[in-house]
Amino acid sequence: MTGGPITPVADQNRDQPLLAVTGLTRHFGTSPVVRAVHEVSFTLDKGTVLGVVGESGSGKSTIGRLVLRLLETTAGKVSFAGQDLATLAPRELRRFRRHMQMIFQDPFASLNPRMTIGDSLVEPIRLHRGLDKATAHEEAALLLERVGLTREHLKRYPRAFSGGQRQRVAIARALASNPGFIVADEPVSALDVSIQAEVLNLLQDLQRDLSLTLMFISHDLSVVEVIADRVMVLYLGSIMELAPSAELFARPAHPYSAALMHAAPGSRPGGRRIVLAGEIPSPSAPPSGCVFRTRCPFVLPDCARLVPALRETTPGHWKACIRDDLVL
Amino acid sequence: MRSIAMSSTETGSEGATRAARRPVLEIDDLKTWFYTDTGIVKAVNGVTLSVAHGETLAIVGESGSGKSVTGLTIMRLLGRRTASTGGRVEGGQIRFHGRDGKSVDLVAVSDAEMTRLRGRDIAMIFQDPMSSLNPVFPIGDQIAEPIRIHKQLDRRTARRMAIGLLRDVGITDPERLVDAFPHQLSGGMRQRVMIAIALACDPLLLIADEPTTALDVTIQAQIIALLKRLQQERGMALIFVTHDLKLVEEIADQVAVMYASQIVEQGPAAEVLTHPRHPYSRALLACTPHGAGHGARLVPIPGVLPSPLQPPEGCRFHPRCALAIADCSRSAPELEHVGADHVSRCFRWRELAS
Repeated sequence: MTGGPITPVADQNRDQPLLAVTGLTRHFGTSPVVRAVHEVSFTLDKGTVLGVVGESGSGKSTIGRLVLRLLETTAGKVSFAGQDLATLAPRELRRFRRHMQMIFQDPFASLNPRMTIGDSLVEPIRLHRGLDKATAHEEAALLLERVGLTREHLKRYPRAFSGGQRQRVAIARALASNPGFIVADEPVSALDVSIQAEVLNLLQDLQRDLSLTLMFISHDLSVVEVIADRVMVLYLGSIMELAPSAELFARPAHPYSAALMHAAPGSRPGGRRIVLAGEIPSPSAPPSGCVFRTRCPFVLPDCARLVPALRETTPGHWKACIRDDLVL
Repeated sequence: MRSIAMSSTETGSEGATRAARRPVLEIDDLKTWFYTDTGIVKAVNGVTLSVAHGETLAIVGESGSGKSVTGLTIMRLLGRRTASTGGRVEGGQIRFHGRDGKSVDLVAVSDAEMTRLRGRDIAMIFQDPMSSLNPVFPIGDQIAEPIRIHKQLDRRTARRMAIGLLRDVGITDPERLVDAFPHQLSGGMRQRVMIAIALACDPLLLIADEPTTALDVTIQAQIIALLKRLQQERGMALIFVTHDLKLVEEIADQVAVMYASQIVEQGPAAEVLTHPRHPYSRALLACTPHGAGHGARLVPIPGVLPSPLQPPEGCRFHPRCALAIADCSRSAPELEHVGADHVSRCFRWRELAS
């Protein structure tokens, strides 16, 4: 793919993370206030994949939208390639958007049924990269080939495609502006398992070949384990644990991470399992102290009083739990 | 009209006699076709399977394999048989062995008899409990309804039984929640309510179509544990329709693998999942990300699911099969015994036994 004008991403200092999020908070509504995301901080290095896992209401999709500024923050800062996104004027933000794209769960809803695949691709290519029609068309064909489709598909409408093919088109569309950063929100969750394998392989290839930085949001731990370098475990809008993928799955340090792994069907046959009772509390009335304490089998009286800080227990391994005596 | 009352003592003995595999449902060469504008969709085309008392049979397959239509056909929930659209049973038998020792063919019984069987002897739960529950009635009324209809009990007794059922399905504070409306409950609670309704008349067979697919994984674990407990306590048979092989491992005694409207393999779950005797079962197991680990390269099944309007000649899986030989495109393999209670629809199953 041809490059556009010089990007701030290229100017960026190599040592600083591509994405730095501090104290990110998003509340919805008033009385009661729904606390969707609460004081979340993390960084994401260029060319790496961050897996974001959690159940419904954990805030994982909201974080994805906040870091792209598709949603405004209530508090906190999102800095992309050294640029504070909140300070960008609407016009600047629109130009900035070419560097950051999103892939959604439902490939049936994310493509315009009245536009050919070609038109769906040519539009962002021309908009973001200012290419003329013929060049943009050729770019669109190359993009389709890149995601495992053919240039003959350009003339077709989304209805002619299966779910897996549509997700390939959605990926091609996300790549159209030549972005460095992509948020993929449950990109393989709606797909059958054999198609899921194809799309996961494709995302892995693209990530490696284009050195993409990826935020991969999923409720499925096994998928995240395959693709992510680091994994962030969320519960009720807060980070419970953040660790390198292999480390997290081998040695979960937070009771919630362990419970999530044990709840996956087929895990630990015959082995000891942490089974959570009850349901996730409402984000409009989150528990005091540690938000997980109402379902935690290892809860102590202190857990209700203190919001546990996210602290680094071993290099690169962060957890928000006051207990260090647990064997999970 | 036959007497409706079925005492619980009669059903209580079902669970005790589990030694011999006594089928409660036997499906033989079932064909369910849909007549559409573009042609005949043979959604279920020659399905043969059986499930025994106290046993869990998982039907596993990808979208469009025919697994849900199989469940709906058993329940006769495919719309009027006389209608020009909708599903029609074009062949085969579904023999259901009832409490009184009598067997009926669910394909042939009258609508009136089917209405008596449905909800009383055979019940079904679905993926989305919100669209199965009536939003304008309290959940207690909805649990009491089948009890009042099938057992002809009065309102107060039915309400008391509804509270007991809510407690059975793990709802704390059932006296209060019996008057709650569906929108006041979480997804997991709604599915518990659906299970309570399904179990209200102590059915011999429960069909669960992807009952946990819409739920979070910690809630899914609770519902699976609940279904396993209830099934063991009541000795009922369970047909569990799912796309998730890992869930099969968790819940099923027997598994039937469906591909393109047919069963391609059925056998004991532990055996099929560890030593599949059909190339499709093997390929399905190979492409799951579970336990693949960081950076793993998954192995997709080549090609695409065939169109149900024009399935391939011969073995339906042959265009995607790594083991396909010339014979596979010419003649269609039958289900063949490959072990005790284990069948496979493949000419080359012996070569998979390694």
